[in-house]
Amino acid sequence: MTREMPNKLEGTIDGALELLDRQLLDVEGRMLGKVDDVELTQTESGLTITALLTGPVALLHRLGGRLGNNLVTQYVALRPSETNRSRPWRIVIDDVERLDSALHLRVHRDESLRRDVETFRLGALTGMNAVEPAGRRVGRVLDARFAPSESGRLVLRGLVVGDGHPGGLLGYDRRPDMGPWVVRRIVGWLHRHTCAVDLEHVQILWNNKEVRLAAPLREIRGPALRR
Amino acid sequence: MKKVFAVALGILTAIGGFVDIGDLVTNAQVGARFGLSLAWATVVGVVGICVFAEMSGRVAAVSGRATFDLIRERLGPRVGMLNLLSSMLITMLTYTAEIGGVALALQLVASVHELLVVPVVAVVVWVVLWRAKFSIIENVFGLLGLALVVFGVAVWKLGPDYGALLHQAVGAHKPSDESWRTFAYYAVALFGAAMTPYEVFFFSSGGVEEHWSPQDVGTMRANVLIGFPLGGALSLAIAASTWLVLGPLEISVDTLGQVGLPIAAALGKLGLAVAILGFVAATFGAACETGLSVAYSIAQYFGAQWGKYVRPREAAFFHLILALATLLAVALLMTTVDPILITEMSVVFSAVALPLTYFPILVVANDPDYMGEHANGRLANALGVVFLGVIAIAATAAIPLLIWTRMGQ
Repeated sequence: MTREMPNKLEGTIDGALELLDRQLLDVEGRMLGKVDDVELTQTESGLTITALLTGPVALLHRLGGRLGNNLVTQYVALRPSETNRSRPWRIVIDDVERLDSALHLRVHRDESLRRDVETFRLGALTGMNAVEPAGRRVGRVLDARFAPSESGRLVLRGLVVGDGHPGGLLGYDRRPDMGPWVVRRIVGWLHRHTCAVDLEHVQILWNNKEVRLAAPLREIRGPALRR
Repeated sequence: MKKVFAVALGILTAIGGFVDIGDLVTNAQVGARFGLSLAWATVVGVVGICVFAEMSGRVAAVSGRATFDLIRERLGPRVGMLNLLSSMLITMLTYTAEIGGVALALQLVASVHELLVVPVVAVVVWVVLWRAKFSIIENVFGLLGLALVVFGVAVWKLGPDYGALLHQAVGAHKPSDESWRTFAYYAVALFGAAMTPYEVFFFSSGGVEEHWSPQDVGTMRANVLIGFPLGGALSLAIAASTWLVLGPLEISVDTLGQVGLPIAAALGKLGLAVAILGFVAATFGAACETGLSVAYSIAQYFGAQWGKYVRPREAAFFHLILALATLLAVALLMTTVDPILITEMSVVFSAVALPLTYFPILVVANDPDYMGEHANGRLANALGVVFLGVIAIAATAAIPLLIWTRMGQ
């Protein structure tokens, strides 16, 4: 079959780049959807990835803004008799086998989906405004960096903050030598102010849709390049 | 021996499958008016499609992911959706044009009005897409499409002054009765006809259908790098033969029948019969490819199961899209719109949408996580970037030229 890739669930990943919008494959390799969003739950080790969300509701929310909200309302209105129609479908993280060019599940696709419960979503975290203590907006959350905890679950460790839109780095933040040269330089220039911030310096205000930095950005910024 | 056979079959189907209704009509129109003076546009388009088809095929072989899967994965749901809408608008136009093209080709034989033929053609296309194996669709119509080699034979039979043709092609000598803006318009049209986005959607998804692995990259390259240029040569033969027969008579090409005129003049009835067989096979094969491309891309955006490698009931969403797309194409044709007009529109709008498809492919083909040692080398990147530039120019110029020249009048 295709090239063997390392299982990305065992290392540090950028959620928007490497998890969102990946193809979901079941235990037999049949396709069952895209990773439309990711569920985050507060545990003792921090904000942890506990499930993957898929289906129209999760996707429509990620179209963002008024358009996204309107479309979700319309989608629910198509069948008002259905309970919890506004909740997306959910696959618990324990059903996930590995992550490479696709996300491989341990289960059969038939009846593998459950309705999701009220939790935080990665798609809401990316795109939030980043605000300094003085109240100055310094950019958006472009990506969220996860690393495995002792229990093996992926836990939020830091945020990538900068101008532009989530995923706008196109993967050029991972290593300094990815081609073509022209595209790398243009992306690098567009993201010259983009940087990584450790989670300890950040407070996530889910209701305000913003993240508060504990200190001015220039004092806590780390390089966006991961390795 | 088996390997040689596989490579040869792949190359032959790539040649026969290269030409579709857009190439047939555009090359004949250009041939009649400009001779070979626009051959450079076809050559540039063919090199471009080789570069990006190779890239998308390599990505499919190495990562198992087809083009639209990656477009959404890299551009996100919003830009991905905009991209899906515009690409599908164009691919639907092309699908409609191909079904209309089959009907026009059959009309040449049966003299039954095309509107009576269209529904029959659509049902046959749908049944083939539903029931036939992927390899049958690809090989049968690809091989029958080779009948279009008759255009090459016609050029040889007409015995032209090859030196003069070459001079016209190399020097891009525009006939003096044509203006530069129509010259530019048809350059963009030829470029769009050669580089239609559906070709990479189909090619990369086909790679997943046939379970390519990194070992198949060599075979895939041979198909692309030998097959597509020879298919491009076929396009040039259409333009050359049309120029030789219709050029001196100042006849412009407005119907599919006129595309066959040079064959009738050079080779008589038998040649024309072979040419019409080629028309039917090429347009029917391309109808299957564009129809599949619509369903592939939409299913890939939503992550639904797609493909002919599973039973239809396992890919129900995919087959539903196939059926709906076919219905929509018939509905469009039944408005009595001229399929040739749809064809002309589809090649020009293809040129507009090209950057949407080709930029994400270039980025992912460079991604070390996906590609490992199969990532783009310097040559592929240099060509990729240069062609993105060319594509951007063609895309920007297409609509203004379309309006300014009133579709090449």
